[in-house]
Amino acid sequence: MSGYALRRLLQSIPTLLVVITLSFFLMRLAPGGPFDGERKLPPEIEANLLAAYNMDQPLYLQYFDYLAGLLVGDFGPSFKYKDFSVTELIWSGFPISFELGMWAMLIGLVFGIGFGCYAALRQNTPGDYLVMSTAMAGIAIPNFVMAPILTLVFGVMLGWLPAGGWNDGAWQNKVLPILALALPQIAYIARMTRGSMIEVMGAQFIRTARAKGISERKVVTRHALKSALLPVISYLGPATAGVITGSVVIEQIFGIPGIGRYFVQAALNRDYTLVMGTVVFYGGLIILFNLLVDLIYAWLDPQIRYE
Amino acid sequence: MTAHISAKAPALPILTIDDLHIDFVLHTGTVQAVRGISFELYKGETLALVGESGSGKSITAQAILQLLPEPVRYTKGSIEYQQQQLIGAPTAAIRKVRGNRIAMIFQEPMSSLNPLQHIGHQVAEVLIEHKGINRQQAAARVLELFQLVEIPDPQRRLKSYPHELSGGQRQRVMIAMALACEPDILIADEPTTALDVTIQAQIMALLKNLQQKFGMAILFITHDLGVVHQFADRVCVMRKGQLVEHGITKAVFSRPQHPYTCELLDSEPSGSKPAVSQDAPVVLDAKNVQVNFPIRAGFLGRVVDQFRAVDTISLTLRQGQTMGIVGESGSGKSTLGKALLKLLDGHGDIHFDGIQIDGLEPLAMRPLRRKMQVVFQDPFGSLSPRMTIGEIIAEGLKVHEPLLSPRQRDEAVCAVLEEVAIAPSSRNRYPHEFSGGQRQRIAIARAMVLKPRFMLLDEPTSALDRSVQIRVIELLRRLQDKYGLTYLFISHDLAVVRALADHVMVMRSGKVVEQGPTEQIFSYPQQEYTRELITAACPLGNAAQRAHSSA
Amino acid sequence: MSNATFAAQGDSLMQDALRRLFLNRATLVSSLLLTLMAISCFFGPLFFNTELDEVFWDFMGTPPGEGGHWFGTDTNGRDLLLRSLYGGQISLTVALIATLVSLIIGVSYGAISGYMGGRVDNLMMRFVDILYSMPFMFLVILMMVVFGRSILLIYIAIGAVEWLDMARIVRGQTLTLKRKEFIEAAHALGVSDRQIILRHIIPNALGPVIVYVTLTVPKVILLESFLSFLGLGVQEPMTSWGVLISEGTANMEGAPWQLFFPAAMLAITLFCLNFIGDGLRDALDPKSR
Repeated sequence: MSGYALRRLLQSIPTLLVVITLSFFLMRLAPGGPFDGERKLPPEIEANLLAAYNMDQPLYLQYFDYLAGLLVGDFGPSFKYKDFSVTELIWSGFPISFELGMWAMLIGLVFGIGFGCYAALRQNTPGDYLVMSTAMAGIAIPNFVMAPILTLVFGVMLGWLPAGGWNDGAWQNKVLPILALALPQIAYIARMTRGSMIEVMGAQFIRTARAKGISERKVVTRHALKSALLPVISYLGPATAGVITGSVVIEQIFGIPGIGRYFVQAALNRDYTLVMGTVVFYGGLIILFNLLVDLIYAWLDPQIRYE
Repeated sequence: MTAHISAKAPALPILTIDDLHIDFVLHTGTVQAVRGISFELYKGETLALVGESGSGKSITAQAILQLLPEPVRYTKGSIEYQQQQLIGAPTAAIRKVRGNRIAMIFQEPMSSLNPLQHIGHQVAEVLIEHKGINRQQAAARVLELFQLVEIPDPQRRLKSYPHELSGGQRQRVMIAMALACEPDILIADEPTTALDVTIQAQIMALLKNLQQKFGMAILFITHDLGVVHQFADRVCVMRKGQLVEHGITKAVFSRPQHPYTCELLDSEPSGSKPAVSQDAPVVLDAKNVQVNFPIRAGFLGRVVDQFRAVDTISLTLRQGQTMGIVGESGSGKSTLGKALLKLLDGHGDIHFDGIQIDGLEPLAMRPLRRKMQVVFQDPFGSLSPRMTIGEIIAEGLKVHEPLLSPRQRDEAVCAVLEEVAIAPSSRNRYPHEFSGGQRQRIAIARAMVLKPRFMLLDEPTSALDRSVQIRVIELLRRLQDKYGLTYLFISHDLAVVRALADHVMVMRSGKVVEQGPTEQIFSYPQQEYTRELITAACPLGNAAQRAHSSA
Repeated sequence: MSNATFAAQGDSLMQDALRRLFLNRATLVSSLLLTLMAISCFFGPLFFNTELDEVFWDFMGTPPGEGGHWFGTDTNGRDLLLRSLYGGQISLTVALIATLVSLIIGVSYGAISGYMGGRVDNLMMRFVDILYSMPFMFLVILMMVVFGRSILLIYIAIGAVEWLDMARIVRGQTLTLKRKEFIEAAHALGVSDRQIILRHIIPNALGPVIVYVTLTVPKVILLESFLSFLGLGVQEPMTSWGVLISEGTANMEGAPWQLFFPAAMLAITLFCLNFIGDGLRDALDPKSR
């Protein structure tokens, strides 16, 4: 197990390196310097600025400087928010995004698995059809459509919850964004759970379990559930990426000061260092999650562990 | 007809099945899987339910424990265990019987065990459920059971997962699980079919031994008449959901009453092949053939070691000869066959028709390909599902006789289909519309259309029912006689090899154990392993012959 | 004797699958609806005698029905129906082209990797693994920022993101097929590698690929609308469903129809595509047979 973990850890290093390298050189490919668009600067000031942003050196040195900075968690200075470093900006937004994302994942898992099992164990009944068509709606309606609809219904028409804003993180302001993030995840996980549950319930070892004389509830909880959840576990990696991506839109719509909102603003403002920093940061996060998911999977499935 | 004949004839049967009817209601219509089955099972006896695939024997077995999946309908009849009606009984009542009074083992020991749980835990679960004991007590009992079913190193195995065990060991675990509560009845649904012959014999001996120890009745479901003959007291022969014959094993085997039983007994392969003359021309001559498979590991799949699948084997095949290669799974027999035809890379001198073929480029190999053809085991996998059988058969002609007109090609296809007894009119159909036996004939037609000299037959009959098998064997014999074909016949089924081959090579772990004329190997095996194989295969031998003569 | 006359026609697996596909009512309705949507988006604008960005000064943000604007107008007084149809054109075109890009890259990459096998396969798949762990959405956005927004870039970027799954599926298929006995039988017949790939591997790998393509299309549409919603996709005067939804969201309290119509069109399209994908999967799945 520890050998497997170590190997997976080593494998994720090149991935991270590719992400960093790709974003670094993509950014440097950008036409024009970071200070274009502002009025023409005197040459000496521009030279000073370039020196301040470490851009007067050869490209490869800049690259290694950036790598060295990343090793100690330094993403460099922001181009637009001149008083902040990218690291500061990321750390100011990340806890908020992280909290929303985790809640959304948790809700997605609990309800997705619940609905999926319910539908699978009552295959081809009205309950199954209801769950599955709702899930299909959750997949077909993108969250940037779902979020305004939720706001319109619960915020504007019913007035139960605030229609937007952050209000320093009051729980009322978190409900709708979390819901908007969680709904597609519930839908995906429910569909996946149903499919794998149906498959597992037809497996021969389930027949063996029944032949032992244990109750149907135990057959499901002790024997079927774990196997049926394996595909869901491996979906958690991509799901994390999905929630992170989703939060970019959701934070934009609800005006939440998370990392996703910074990212979109930075992208629109051409704040290269911030965009790059966020991409690298998110890249690292997704790689980390994939790693965690693989380890959980290996822990659950002994056949992988000993490979 | 409910025959009350029993070897031991105690007063009351423990299991009575009376006029059982089982339907499956599918959206395409209702399938009557079982139509009026009646039999009784007495304490301590072994009753075999015999039939070919689709006869309803497995369904009957699963119906006893009410394990059949929806949409099953028990339209008529009853299943009584000690006067208790099981059909439609409350789930709680059935659960008290399942695993406790009536236990079951299945064909596929790998997929029948939960892959994510320790095997010790899986066996303990039955005890905890039915005996009301705690985990520690159960663990101690499981250890005893593992010793009883002769699992090596039982203490360590408690914490093993199914994939860490061999096929035979997994079946032993299943048996331990079934015997945990010392049931009255053990239902064994093809328990040895997925296992190698020597393992098969060990498992059967174990079951027999445990039956004597615990005095349980065994309901044995199988298609293998040899096993029935050796182990069953009584036998029920099933066909298409009905019971066609029922009686004491010895009586049924020596004086079968129903024509279908006679057919089944006759379909045990019989006959033998005379050796060819020593001056027949040599078709294939191979010296020191070796095949290595690289073992890869690590991040980029570096080759860390070699696995020697075929270890320095030499053989000579003369025209008209049939060489049988026997061995258990993993012995390298198929690999050897493919290496001889250069379907995979090996080392060694191989001469085909006097031409050295090892080291030939694929292009140079092509003209020789038509003279050496292959028929594979899997009648489902060996025909491309997206081509009509006409296209499949014509493909070789397109490669080797590109000058033929479409009409000539079509005529050749029709002729060869007729030869293998498939209606030429069906040549525009797709493989999935044919039965297993028909597909195997089509595969033979694909090879025969090129008029080869040599055919590699890689387990061509293993996936087929005996009665279908016998017709394929007859076809192969007829083709050999007619065209003077040379066969290399690979099989794990010793009965078929004995009937078809004049020369036998026994393989194990990539090496030749022994080889020689068929009768010599079967009658006077020199090596311990060969003897083991032959005893394990428990062919009907004399019983079949007697049935044959008296029928 | 004429052989051709008594040749009975067989049922190919494909015909069989198609029959079962059309027995599935949801799939059938979805296909019809989707065809209707595509026809309206591409041919509907021909029936308008106005331009995409023509401003109706008397109708600024008016609700549906007024002044013959069935979907109403946007805040700038442009006809929402026409804009929605044009938006649909963009979304559907992106879907088509990006899916094609992913299909071409994915199928060739997967087939080569699977057919070559061994170390080449190992390296190629390791590369895919690395790409899999990339925050692709963000890289696409980064590309948009760096190279400026262009519709061509969207096609390429999205296609380049989506080929990974396709490559894995095709590789898996190729690997399974390569081990099939009918491929080995073809080798034994002396059929060339090229013919084996063309006649045996590709036709048999087609089923799962088709299913995956139908499931890629909605993903692609979603990605494009996502980018457009963020203001990183197509630019004025061109529009897309994502842009319209974004504008509608801004005005949803005063003019909910500006959100409703484009959102409904997008959702209906995604619904239909998902249903068709599901139906195809069921129809082609040998287990359901």
